[in-house]
Order: sequence, then structure tokens, then C-alpha cells
Amino acid sequence: MFENIDTPRPEIFLAGGEPIEFTYNGQRFRIHSVLSSWHESGGWWNRASDGFFRPDDGSRILWRVEAAPIGVMKTFEIERLESPSGLWRIRPTSRPA
Amino acid sequence: MSFTHLHLASGFSFKYGTTLPHLLVEQARELGMESLALTDRDGLSGAIRFTQSCIDNHIAPILGVDIECDNNTRMTLLATPGSGWSSLVRIVTELKKYGAPCNLKFLQDNSHYTKNLLALHGPDSDLGRALTSRRYDKALTIYNAARELFLDQAIECVSHLVYGDGPRSTVHAARMLGFARDHDLPAVLTNAARMRVRDDAPVADVLDATRHLLPLHKNIVERKNAEAFLKSSEEMEALAEKISSAAGERRWKKLLATTQEWADRARLSPRDDIGIGSIHLPEPHVVGARDHHELTTQLRNRAIAGINWRYGHSRSDVHERLEKELSIIEHLGYESYFLTVADITDRARASGIRVAARGSGAGSLVCHLLGISGVEPLSLGLLMERFCSPLRSALPDIDIDVESARRLEIYNQVFEVYQERCATVAMFDTYRARHAIRDVGAALSLPPMEIDLVAKSLPHIRARNISQSLSNLPELRNLNLTSSVWKMAIGIAEKLDGLPRNLAMHPCAVVISDGGLYDRAPVEMNASNFPMVQWDKDDVEAIGLLKLDILGVRMQSTLAYAVSEIKRTTDLVVNLDSIPLDDKKTFELIQSTKTLGLFQIESPGQRELVGKFAPETFTDLIIDISLFRPGPVKSDMITPFLNARQGWKSREIFHPDLYEILDDTEGVVVFHEQVIEIIATLGGVTLAEADEKRRALGYKEGQQEVCDWFFPAATARGYSLEIITKVWDVLRAFASFGFCKAHAAAFALPTYQSAWLKTHHPAAFLAGVLSHEPGMYPKRLILDEARQCGLDIAPLDINLSDRTYRVEGKNQIRIALTDISGISSAEVDAIIAHRPFIDLADFVHRSGVSRPICEALLMVGAFDSLYSSELNRRDLLLHLNDLYKWSTTKSLSRIGGSQLTFGFTPPLSKTGLPDLKAHERVKNEIEYLGMDISHHMIEFYSEFLNHIGAIKSNDLLHQRSQSSVLVAGVKVALQTPPVRSGKRVMFLTLDDGHGCSDATFFEDMQHTCAETLYNSRLLLVRGEIRRTGPRGVSIRATGAWELSAAYEKWRNVAVCE
Repeated sequence: MFENIDTPRPEIFLAGGEPIEFTYNGQRFRIHSVLSSWHESGGWWNRASDGFFRPDDGSRILWRVEAAPIGVMKTFEIERLESPSGLWRIRPTSRPA
Repeated sequence: MSFTHLHLASGFSFKYGTTLPHLLVEQARELGMESLALTDRDGLSGAIRFTQSCIDNHIAPILGVDIECDNNTRMTLLATPGSGWSSLVRIVTELKKYGAPCNLKFLQDNSHYTKNLLALHGPDSDLGRALTSRRYDKALTIYNAARELFLDQAIECVSHLVYGDGPRSTVHAARMLGFARDHDLPAVLTNAARMRVRDDAPVADVLDATRHLLPLHKNIVERKNAEAFLKSSEEMEALAEKISSAAGERRWKKLLATTQEWADRARLSPRDDIGIGSIHLPEPHVVGARDHHELTTQLRNRAIAGINWRYGHSRSDVHERLEKELSIIEHLGYESYFLTVADITDRARASGIRVAARGSGAGSLVCHLLGISGVEPLSLGLLMERFCSPLRSALPDIDIDVESARRLEIYNQVFEVYQERCATVAMFDTYRARHAIRDVGAALSLPPMEIDLVAKSLPHIRARNISQSLSNLPELRNLNLTSSVWKMAIGIAEKLDGLPRNLAMHPCAVVISDGGLYDRAPVEMNASNFPMVQWDKDDVEAIGLLKLDILGVRMQSTLAYAVSEIKRTTDLVVNLDSIPLDDKKTFELIQSTKTLGLFQIESPGQRELVGKFAPETFTDLIIDISLFRPGPVKSDMITPFLNARQGWKSREIFHPDLYEILDDTEGVVVFHEQVIEIIATLGGVTLAEADEKRRALGYKEGQQEVCDWFFPAATARGYSLEIITKVWDVLRAFASFGFCKAHAAAFALPTYQSAWLKTHHPAAFLAGVLSHEPGMYPKRLILDEARQCGLDIAPLDINLSDRTYRVEGKNQIRIALTDISGISSAEVDAIIAHRPFIDLADFVHRSGVSRPICEALLMVGAFDSLYSSELNRRDLLLHLNDLYKWSTTKSLSRIGGSQLTFGFTPPLSKTGLPDLKAHERVKNEIEYLGMDISHHMIEFYSEFLNHIGAIKSNDLLHQRSQSSVLVAGVKVALQTPPVRSGKRVMFLTLDDGHGCSDATFFEDMQHTCAETLYNSRLLLVRGEIRRTGPRGVSIRATGAWELSAAYEKWRNVAVCE
């Protein structure tokens, strides 16, 4: 259900560690409100093949936000992987917060 | 402002918390916190060590418990100062007794305790659940129903920042906060933590999997993220802000302020509230005194009465020592301690149970006079100060050894007399290497075979040393332990190190206290149905509960059995406690190294030492036992001692003042008592002070302190710097290895007693050894030893064999019925009750013994004596078959399966089948008895062994050193003691019917031999002879094969030739 746009350095603008603006599908979005934000981790036992000596716990923080390009608001989720790679994920969503 | 965590689980929330309490406390200190709560799940096992760690880290302890309630909900209770702690303790005890999750009725029934407690309703509580489903009305009802039950109740807001609006989400926490605000109830913030840091999360997951006995899967793992850890004050403030703003509150600091308020209400004083450092001995009236004064008089009178009993006459030196000890005891107020222990040993003795003291308590004259210890301290130079000193407030330890077979009788007596004043002590079964690998391996679904192989190969080490140890195990090279999943498993297993897995009963410790025991310690019933304190022996000591170790010692049972056999067969009454300690023949036996079966000196190493040492007196025995310890062996204290002892080198005593102290041990410092006396003599201090200095020598900073004191003190007393330096070097080097002489003396007594019995009553003694198995060797070896002592071993006989090994005539020992593998106690009883049996049919008819056992009895010849030699065991087996056939086809009244009807007996006749061959008999004996009796197993290989020139074990002594030899035998013992270097050495003992030979396998040999050694019973070993002393010889192995495989190879070759 997610459209992944995993890139190591997506265009995301932060203020105080929280996302406020980002680029999605070539379009610039502004975050109007954060509907909810939560932390997830776990499932390291399925990632043994990574060869990490220390289990990779897949820790990540997620934001579910309302954002819109030039007057058009959309609901998105922004996700940052708390792994060394520091991957970000952004996806539009229709789920309520 | 620093935050206080009010809800925190340590590893003592078994298989839930990931961190030991002291690490949590240290983390809290690093985070700058001033107080910290420990609220383990359903128990208080971590409370004392948590409190002690709080003292060390200057943190105010708060104690509570997270209890399971109805419908899988949980609630947290906190103790308040004053009577809160004892109420908490009582609640935990009552809840264990209740045996069901806590509910409203339980709380109402125990409201006299709960009204001293604070209650927290968290997200998993009944109230929290109601709010999950937005049942605000129900939540309020729950709160109001408990209003009268607790001192106060708070709503506990927890956000682990999980997704959605369920428990542990910010939304849920905000809802709980809103509920509290709406009804004006106090609300606190906690993090319901179970981890020290985020990185502990995999450990938490493995514990979840282990608790559920399932492999890891997202459905059984509790956490959704890694937020349940001991967060810093700043992190908690951020949480408070988040929750408060989600709840629409403007002043988010209110939540933190209330939390701190509650923390302040629950802060406990370690000393006044929890009782750390106090002492609680039984009240005077328990030992029959009206007040403390009478207690003192009673102790004195009993001790003085003991002088006549022990010494036969009055002696001034005894009186002098007694006065000194009594004044120390009075000063410390330990009278009831001594009287209580004496009471227990008296009762044991009155029931005819052998009792002996062990440990430093044997150094006390009072213990000797009260009958607690059998060792006479004055003549052996044992010191009271090593045991109990006015400078130490810790309770001295008296341990008593009793007959292992009757230990529970004593327990029952103690509980009958002291009732609610006593309880057994727990011990924490903690994660060590093997368990850790097994649990992590199972959680990660590693192949069971691999897990098993790794776990079995690991020595008994701490879990944190697994990876270090694995690299030394050649037999695991075929496993891919460097694969990522194994690496991960090992990494997590190491993190489980030291976490307690569950509570077990300490095998021998009992606490005896005053009537307030149940107010101070949580108690639950253990598997053996004794009340058990939830703390281990260190914890109970910390809160001043008198701990008594009642050890079941098989040797004591052996001694008692031997004495009873002597009485039964010869009417001679032996009083082991009054035999002379200078019996020449006894020492001749010890010197001959024929010490198999004796207490403490039967191991291969001890036999070697005894051979070189040749002890002549009781003191020599004490020295021998003290020398044979890892410390002295490692630092090679034995060589200088033996050199001086055998007159090869002159002894070195640095100063005439030390002559008397070091005379017995040839100038070598062996005992703690000697260290104490040397310090007292050179430093000019009392023995009690000297013992404090000795204790300080045990750790590094202490050593420096003592050094700074010792040199000036000894110089001031006129000793030269040279002598002081020499003495100091010795003290520093040996203080940590020395052994308590009193303890060694307490051990030497049963050693001597067993040697005396073996010398004068070998049949009775070895029958005792065979019946109670006190030692390290298998029965078959003891049987061999009996034969070598000139005793006959009589086979199992259905009419003569008893439950235990019996002495018959002067020199015969009869095998016991209990040796038949699989025989039940009831079957043994039935056989003994229905004897004599006239024939097999009679036996089958009346004994009620199951058919397989009957066959086993027959196959080892238990019925041979009932029949003429014309009928052999094969005939009897056919007959037995017929008997059962008849019983199933023609029985008229069958009772309980295969009973026969009398009068219908099939005929028994010679069938012409050949009798069992000798090797078949031995095979049966091994199969049914687990040992070879009629012949030694090795005998069947004698042709082969002669041909290849294998050496008999009793001929090894005549081999030249460093010559290469072959030895064969039955594996008697294979030991892999932990070696500090981490390199494994395997010690193999083989028995070939002529005695034992000992072979050592060093690391270079293990990759080829380890598997053979583990899996074979009969072995052929090649090695190089190493002389270790006049009677000592050992083999450095250069190869090992399974004997039968080697034999087959040889036979095939022989056939080809």
C-alpha cells in the first residue's frame, strides 16, 4: 500500500528535528499538521542475514502528517529509519491518525 | 529537576526484566537521579540487593511490586515509610499463599496491609483497560471501589510512543491524564521500564520467547519499540510535555511535580524501614530464657557443663579461653544464636542423627562445648577470632553437616520448633553459558542438534565468556559458529549473563529469626513444601537474619551406616566421636594411598599428595586437606612444604618469634590462623584486629593500607626491616590462598573417622560407601577396592539381598536389591516383606514384582541359590516365560496384571540349553545393575592387551619416566575442571581391575580425542609416563581409542595373518 521513495538523502526540511517541508514526486509539499507520530522497532530476528553482530533492531520514527503542494493538502506518512543508513520514507496515506 | 522512575522491572521479574538491579541503580546515578523505585513482577527477590546498591550510589530507594490481577491486568503497589515495607512484604507473602491473581476480594481481606501502600493504576490495569475502551464510568467505579483500600491511588500515565490509541500510546496516556484531571485524581508519569538502555531490546524479546516457550515471532514479543527503558530526566520531561499537550493541558509540569511528590512519599530508609544492617535473633524465650540476662547465664552454664563432658576434668587454659569467648559473645549479643544452633544439634543427636560442624565455627570453644563442633580447638591452635570477632558486626556463620539421608528429618524438627520464626532460603538459578545458549538458540529456531552440541560442549562458565570459550572447543569446528545467526545468538546469550531464571530452594540454608520474620521477608512455599524466603543467603544476611547451613553430607550417612552395620553384625558399639585420633594403623592405611572411599582424600590428586606427604598425625591431615586447594596448588606451596617435611631442604622460619606459629607446617604459611597470628605477633595487635588486617589483605586497596601500617608497627616492635620485608612478602602472597584451619580441621575429622573405619571395619565401611555413595567414584570401582581389601562380594540373592548393601559374616558384602535398574521402592519393600521365597513360581506369585524386574533379577542370578546347579539361567528364563503364559491363559483369579494362582505351576525341567558364558553374565550385570561384578570387563580383552603390551595400572609405577605406554580400562571419571587460562585440560581416570590410572589430555590432543573420550566406556590410551612423586605417576596422553574398535582392528589383522 506504500509507495516507497527510499533515497538516502531525500529533500526534507526540518525544524527542531521535526519535518516541516519535503519534496514528493517532484513537487514541493508543506506540512500543515502532524496527525500523529510514533516509534517502531523490532523484528531483528528476521534480519540475521545482514551479518550484524549486534542485532539490527530496525528502530524508526514515523510521522503521519497533513501536507499540501500549493493549496492542495494531502495526508502523508514520513518515516525515518533509525539505522546507520538513516533512510527516510515518505508515503501518502488515507488512514486516519 | 531530576525525575524519579516509579515503575521499573529488573531481572528479578523473572524472564521479563533485562537488567540486574545494581546496573539499573548505577544507570540512575549516571543520569543524576536522586531516587529510584524497583517494582518487580509478583515478587521482591531483587529488593535487598537493589537497596544495597542504592546505598552505595547515594540514591533513595523506593520499593514496590507489580502484581498480577484478574483478567490479565496488572497493578503497581508502592511501600511508604513506617509500616509500608512490612505491609508490602506481607501482601507478597499473602498473594503467594492465595495462589491466584489479585482481585478485589483479596485486597479487602488484606486491607490492614494495603492501607499502608500506594497504588498505581497503569495502562495495563483494570482501570487503564476501561479507559482503552473509553468506559470512563467504569474507570471511575474501579477507582472508587478501591478508595478505602489504599493509602492513596494514582493514575499512572505511560507512553512508549507506540502507534494508535491503545495502551502505551501517547493518546492513551493523554486519555488517562484527562480522566485524572476530570475527576481531580492524582496522576503520575512512569515509563514502565524493563530495560536499562534501548540496546537491551533483543534480550527482552528472547526473554518473552523463553517465557512463552516459543520461537521469536512478532505475536509473542511484547514490545512494539524499544522505549521501555530507563529514560533520562530530560527524555521523561519531553514525554510529559507530549502527553500533557495531547491532553490539552497548559501546565505540563504538573504531571512531573505530582510524580516527584509521590516519589517523596515512598522514599524508604534502608536502615529504619527495610532493616539493612540490623540483626534479628530468636527471642530469649524461644530457647527457654526469660530475659537477656538469663540467656547469658544459660549459655555460660551449658558451656561450663560441657567442659566436664569434653575434657573429663577442669583445665585452667580451657576456662580462660571460655571466659574470653563468652565475653565476646556477650558483647555482640549473640547468646541466642549459639543456643539456637546448639538446640538444633542437640535435637538431631537425640534422634540419633550424626552431626558435625564445618567452617570457621569449629574454631570456637563454645561451639565445641555446646556439642555443635566435634573438633577440639585448643590443642589444634584454632582461633575464635577467625569465626567471630567484636570488630565485625556481621553474623558469624555456623554450618552443620548432617547425614544426607536424614536431612529432611532435621528440617522438619526445626520447622516444628521454630515455626513462623524460620524459613528456608532461596537461591537464584541464574543464566550461565549452557542455559543461555539453549534459550537463545530455541528463540532463534537454530537447529536443536546444533544447540545441544554447543551447550553440552561448553564448560560450566559464565554466559559472558561464551565466545571466548567456544574458540577453545575443537569438537565444534564442524559447526559454522561464525555464521551471522550464530554470532547473533552468542552475542545475546552473553547478554543474558547472570540474569536470574527462577527461584530455587537453597540446598541447605535455613534462616531462624524472631517472631517478626514474616514482617521483614517475603515468604512463599517452595516445591518441597517448606516456607522459603524470596531472598538468597547474601540478602538474608544483609537484613540480619541468622542463617544456618544444614548440609546433608553423604559421608555422615556412610559413617552412621557403617556403625550400625558393626552393631548389627558384631554387637560392638562404636562411638566414632571418641575414637583416639592417633591410631597408628589408620595412618598406615592413609599413607599406603589406599584411600578410595575416604572423605576428602580419595581423588587421584589427593592420593598422589598423600603418597608424597605420608601424614602421621591428625594435624598432618588438616595440613593435607588445606594444601590440596586450587590456590596452594597453583602457587606451588606444596613443594617447599614437602621438601622441608621430607628433610630434602631445610625449612625457613624468618624469626624465632614465628617458630611456634609455623612449626607444624614446616615454615610454610598454610592457614588463615597463621596469618592472623603472624600479624598479631609482629604488629603487636590483638587477634581480632589481626583478623581485620588479614581480611583487608584480600583486596588491593586494603593490602596497601595494611602495608602502610605493618612496616612502622613491626619496626616499632624492634623487628629488622629485612625480616619485616620477608614476612610481608609471604603475607601478601599467601593471605589470599590460605585456608581456614578450623574449617580444614572440621573436614579432617570425618576424613579420619572414615579412615579409621576402613582400617578396622572395612566390610561395614565399604558397605556404607556402596549404600550411600559419598564419593566421586562409581560403585564398580568401590567393589574392586573391596576385593583388594580382601572382602568377598556376594551376588544378588532374592532371599538375602536387602535394600542396602549388607555385611555378611566377617568379610562379605552382599549386593543390594536397589541396584537393579528400574526397580521401584515399593517392589523392594514387597520383596523384603514376602521373604523367604521357595522358588521362582512362589516369587512371581507372591511378590507382585513386575515382569521386567523379575527377569532382571533372574538374569543377574538372584534366583541361582534356589535351584541346583543343573538348572541354568536359560532354563529359568524359559520357566519364567511359562509362568507368565500360564498366568495369562489359565489364571482363575488374576489380581493386578500377572498374578498366578497357587497350585497351577508349569513344570520346570532342564532344557539342554547351554548356560550363560562369562561374558554374557557380565553383559547382563552391566545391563541390569550398571556394573560388572562377576568379572572385570577388561578381562575379556586380556589376550589383546597382552599382545599389544598394555601396562596394568599397578605396574605403571615401575615404568621409566617419559617412556611411552599403553593403558586400557573402564572410564571411571572424565573431568574438565575450569582453568583460568581458558585452555581446557581433560583428566581421565581408567580402571582396569588392578587399580586406577590417570591420564591427562592437553589441548593439542583434544581435537582428535575429545569425542572418543566423551562417548566411550572402554578406552585404550597411549601416553608418556610422568613421575609426580615416590608413589605418584600420571600419563600425558598422546592418543585414545575405543577399546572394542581397537580390538576389532587387531583381530582382523590377526585373522589375515
